[in-house]
Amino acid sequence: MLVSWNYRFRNSPMDHIDPRARFIFSFALLFAATATWNPIILFVLFLIAITWYLMARLTWKDTKVGWFMISIMLFTMIVVNTIITGGGAGGVVPPGGQLVWPGGFDLFGKHFTFGLTVERVWFAISQLMRILSISLAFIIIPYTMDSRAYGVTFSKLGMPDRLAYTMELSFRFIPTLARNFQVTLDAQRARGFELDGGKGNFIKKIRRVAPLLIPVTMNAIVSSEDIANAMDLRGFGEQKRTWLYELKFNWWDWALIVFSVLMLATVLLLAFRFDMRLFSVPGWFYGLFNK
Amino acid sequence: MAKQTEKKSIWAFGTKQVVYAAIGAALYAVLTWAFNVWQIPGAGNVGIRPAIVIPMFFGIAFGPIVGFITGFVGNILADMLSGYGFWIWWDLGNGIIGLIPGLFSALIVKYDEIKSILWGELSVIVGSAAGMGLASASEFWVSGADFNTVLLANFVPSFVTNIIWGLVLLPLLMIAYAAILKRSGR
Repeated sequence: MLVSWNYRFRNSPMDHIDPRARFIFSFALLFAATATWNPIILFVLFLIAITWYLMARLTWKDTKVGWFMISIMLFTMIVVNTIITGGGAGGVVPPGGQLVWPGGFDLFGKHFTFGLTVERVWFAISQLMRILSISLAFIIIPYTMDSRAYGVTFSKLGMPDRLAYTMELSFRFIPTLARNFQVTLDAQRARGFELDGGKGNFIKKIRRVAPLLIPVTMNAIVSSEDIANAMDLRGFGEQKRTWLYELKFNWWDWALIVFSVLMLATVLLLAFRFDMRLFSVPGWFYGLFNK
Repeated sequence: MAKQTEKKSIWAFGTKQVVYAAIGAALYAVLTWAFNVWQIPGAGNVGIRPAIVIPMFFGIAFGPIVGFITGFVGNILADMLSGYGFWIWWDLGNGIIGLIPGLFSALIVKYDEIKSILWGELSVIVGSAAGMGLASASEFWVSGADFNTVLLANFVPSFVTNIIWGLVLLPLLMIAYAAILKRSGR
């Protein structure tokens, strides 16, 4: 089993932004997008997120797996819940409203009635803008951030050194554990083990994972004893930790942080001081459905 | 590894806990990634993940901090390996799935006793309910989803699959771990 990180250096603008500034921006966008249902604010945030995503210079081939998962989520949330079932959208959309097809519609020679309202259509668009804004900000992280940078990034953002080092260490263990997993799988297969094959009830099928899961887990625990002893012998945790991978702020990183703070503050001010957090449908959108 | 009879300090976070948490997170990520091909049709972004037992077990065996980091960091790494992005609320939810069994770890002395296994099983249910409850509830404010969607598309599929894997596999891991402790004389 070959484990490969999705990151590679693309010399994109994103590659030159400090990971700390990137996390600050991403979380500012997350909090800003979830603070309001106002369509204008969501649209502006959506445009900012698209710009951010484009700065990463990722291709469709790079991110298609992630987008597949997001499209399943969007389908469930928007098409199934908001458009088809109209479950009320968590009390965001008021009950009632203007029907899109007041007299029903004809399809394949049959007459259908469908209670879809203009408000629900607009809410679906708002949901799409909000979820896509958040997705655009966060989906790029695995592809554009060097795995060596995580430990030092979280350490410099204020996380205790031991926790940050835990994160760093876990990155390093992944190739070894993936190899152990593959060796165990091959060894069990040589003994006739089949993960999907065989008969039995549901519980027996679940227990079939055990011959694979238990040896891999127990081997990892046993080997961790030696690693901990080696770290103790080298005085781990005795002094403030230094990091091999250095981070350095440039002027554009500070500009991004200031922009992130201003963006979040502006959205919170508009949402809570000027009552722009609630869902509303613009007048022109109703006009599209009035014949 | 702690002796099976000694009194545990569940909040300790020394060198051993750093390594256990790192190993746990990496293991959870690798196994999640390996089993990611099994997805539940029509259930949002919820995958069938036998590896969910890893944060539960690391919580039971090494305490709440190790359990939390195993679930939280492991889920981040698994999503990174799979190219799914970064979903903080689901990462936190997975962390809680490891943290709550860790709180039960104070009650467990011998891992192969019936009583210990029952505490472990209870922790699986409570931990999954709390962890997936938080992660699913995040869809209220992130996606604006209604209660039915959150309950039926997010919470129920993730909670049910997690407890099924946890209830079946956790006792097996606890018994195997007890055997390792006995064999190594620790």
